[in-house]
Amino acid sequence: MNTPPFEPKIIGFLCNWCSYAGADKAGAAQLNYPPNVGTIRVMCTGRIDPQFVLKAFAEGADGVVVLGCHPGDCHYKEQNYRMIQRHRLTVKFLEQFGIPADRCRLDFVSAAEGEKFARVIRETVEAVRALGPMPKLPPPPDGGQGVDRSDRSDGSDRSDHHQECSCCH
Amino acid sequence: MKTGIYLCRCGCDNTGNVSAKIDLPAVREALINLPNVGYCDLVNLACSEDGQNALADHLAEHKPDRVVIAACSPREHEETFRKIMIRAGLNPYLMQMVNIREHIAWVTEDLAAATEKAVAALRAAVNRVSHHEALAKKMLDVSTDVLVVGAGPAGLKAALTLAEAGRQVTLVEKSPILGGYPVRFEDIFPKMECGPCLLEPIMGQVLHSDLSDKIDLRLLSELVEVTGFFGNFNVKIRQQPRFVSTHSCIGCGICMPECPVEFPSRVNLGRTQRRAIDYEFFGGLPNVPFIDPTVCTNLLGGDCTICRDSCPVEGTIDFDDKEQIVEKHVGAIILAIGAKLYDVSRVANLGHGVFPEVYDSFAFERLIANNGPTDGRLVTKDGREVKRLAIVHCAGSLDKDHLPHCSAVCCLNAFKFNHLVGHKSPGTEVVHFHKTIVAPGKEDFECYHHARHNDYSTFIEYHEPSDLQVSAAADGSLTVTCSSAPPDKQQTTCDMVVLMNGLTTQEGADSLSKLTEVTLDQTGFFEELNGRSDVARSKVRGVYLAGICQQPGDIARSMMQGAAAAGNALSGLVTGRQLAIEPVTAEVDADRCSGCRTCIPVCPYKAIEFVDGPNVARVNAALCVGCGTCVAACPAGVIKGNHFTNDEIYAEIEALLR
Repeated sequence: MNTPPFEPKIIGFLCNWCSYAGADKAGAAQLNYPPNVGTIRVMCTGRIDPQFVLKAFAEGADGVVVLGCHPGDCHYKEQNYRMIQRHRLTVKFLEQFGIPADRCRLDFVSAAEGEKFARVIRETVEAVRALGPMPKLPPPPDGGQGVDRSDRSDGSDRSDHHQECSCCH
Repeated sequence: MKTGIYLCRCGCDNTGNVSAKIDLPAVREALINLPNVGYCDLVNLACSEDGQNALADHLAEHKPDRVVIAACSPREHEETFRKIMIRAGLNPYLMQMVNIREHIAWVTEDLAAATEKAVAALRAAVNRVSHHEALAKKMLDVSTDVLVVGAGPAGLKAALTLAEAGRQVTLVEKSPILGGYPVRFEDIFPKMECGPCLLEPIMGQVLHSDLSDKIDLRLLSELVEVTGFFGNFNVKIRQQPRFVSTHSCIGCGICMPECPVEFPSRVNLGRTQRRAIDYEFFGGLPNVPFIDPTVCTNLLGGDCTICRDSCPVEGTIDFDDKEQIVEKHVGAIILAIGAKLYDVSRVANLGHGVFPEVYDSFAFERLIANNGPTDGRLVTKDGREVKRLAIVHCAGSLDKDHLPHCSAVCCLNAFKFNHLVGHKSPGTEVVHFHKTIVAPGKEDFECYHHARHNDYSTFIEYHEPSDLQVSAAADGSLTVTCSSAPPDKQQTTCDMVVLMNGLTTQEGADSLSKLTEVTLDQTGFFEELNGRSDVARSKVRGVYLAGICQQPGDIARSMMQGAAAAGNALSGLVTGRQLAIEPVTAEVDADRCSGCRTCIPVCPYKAIEFVDGPNVARVNAALCVGCGTCVAACPAGVIKGNHFTNDEIYAEIEALLR
């Protein structure tokens, strides 16, 4: 009996000015690519809080792909460099949890690079497919039920910590 | 909460761009029973005129709390549908678009897979839009007056362009006269026009035309304080005393020869004398002398009043003239402070400052000027005729140890010198030591052609600055050794060497950078918003850049950029129109901000300030562009990125993975 191939669920974060436009270009050129990546538009990859990536994995994503303007081309001057820094830290953090770096790809797609967008999506899907489904994350130490929704929205829990803890003051 | 969903077929029935590739009725079935979904309608061409009208009517009739439109790219029609929302009496930010055409229909072959992807994307949008907030533009009153700093070609052009449009301009200039570099040049490349002749009509318009009362000219002045932001800057200008009224002086010049204090003129290389009361140089405008307080007997405590006594217009010379601070409220600032010629004595192998007959380009310009120290004759300091002149191009430019950039004007200036020497000193040979020749454009190349093809000039190419060495013999003659030249051209003896020094950061640029928060880039010039599409704007909203303080260039470019900067100020601040501030910006929750200041340096638009007292960060919505970097940077999570909040993004992630 043939089992159907594993279809990974991947979240793609695209900056509005380059990569989202690159995806539009791929669409206009009618380039076929696998449907596994659900995209989320942000104005700039500088907006991508590492928590977005963690949230995606916590919610069951098998992979994440972050696509921004090429270094030097950022619509907001230099924010994609900040994204690069954050991405490096995020990947290190993920590896601490046993999530391999290959599940979280960073790449650069300009508004003109429809071909590249389609290729990056194909490659990402294949890479994550090869890794197999994301292993279930261990439950939090308090035995809680996955992500506590009360603390996801505005970081108020972290803020309280920030207000009180001695390291921040 | 009732969400209305519109699925655009982008065509008709199941033959549309979208409906042929995605089973839209199946998408509707999957969505219609979701919580918060009030209705889900299929439409044909939502963006067409009929489609827009139908959509506006439908929205006005059903008044959903939230709207999701699945169609093409929001980059194409988000604004279109926001306008429809407004027409229907709804807040435009309570709508979310889903790109089911470019991102799904056109790129997914399998209809079932495309349908499934579309359902996920729409679920995400429905989930997201429930978190949307009604946002509104804020309106601010603004000043339409403009401050222009620097009265060279760029600043003059900017000031006049603004004055012609009826704007009130404050024109601040640190020197006692207008015109910048070119008024000090007798000839201007590529056509050898006279510099003062080119600029005098322009300066005349500033000083004595219908436009003059629109321009508050502040000479001997500098900007010392800037507060506020685009539309509402409060600035302070420090004006040094001139001791001679520019309003009542008739420029007769009677006072100057009477002055007993003489000292060497800086403009003429210290080789002619000037008086304590004198012109900067003859022919500078306004045609009003000024008193140098560091040498004037009266101002140093003596009792000399000779100039005042000789002046035919009573009250014109005033020894009690004081420094004053002028305050202005302006909407925009144009920086046009020019650049400085690089101190070429720092290029040790070229002998400047060591050998008296090695000149930089500005000194040579004065030397051969008709009103210069030798009345235009090309002779050495000890009176010898110059039989051979060496001109070294790129002196300090294209050199990683000095100026890594090309200074854009030195080649043409060297060709101008070539031309002037040919006319003023027939028989003098000119040897050019050059790297790359830069002479673009429809007129400049002709200038190069003239310099290159005549019987008195020679061109020798060198590669590295270290290839050249200037040395002197006992008789005062100079030798330029060029190690990269062919063997027979490695030694050139000459009587004089001119170093074409490049352009670098103007004096005072550092302090202006601190005042206005416009950064200097790694080349030392003011950093523009975009090197191709926005060179006349800085990254600070409302502060514009003109001329060679932004990038080396010629007079034409400076004038053009002056007009461009004025154009930006005119279109940014329109009389009678308030400034609309887009709502998609960041906002700090002041109650929860710990004042750690992490956000402040990550903002390239200087939109975040620290508020002393409560010790919190505050985002200035007039400057924020909504990129969201500070939102992601805040360690306490207390900055909200409007329309891209954590809630909204998390809602999308959750629904996409459900």
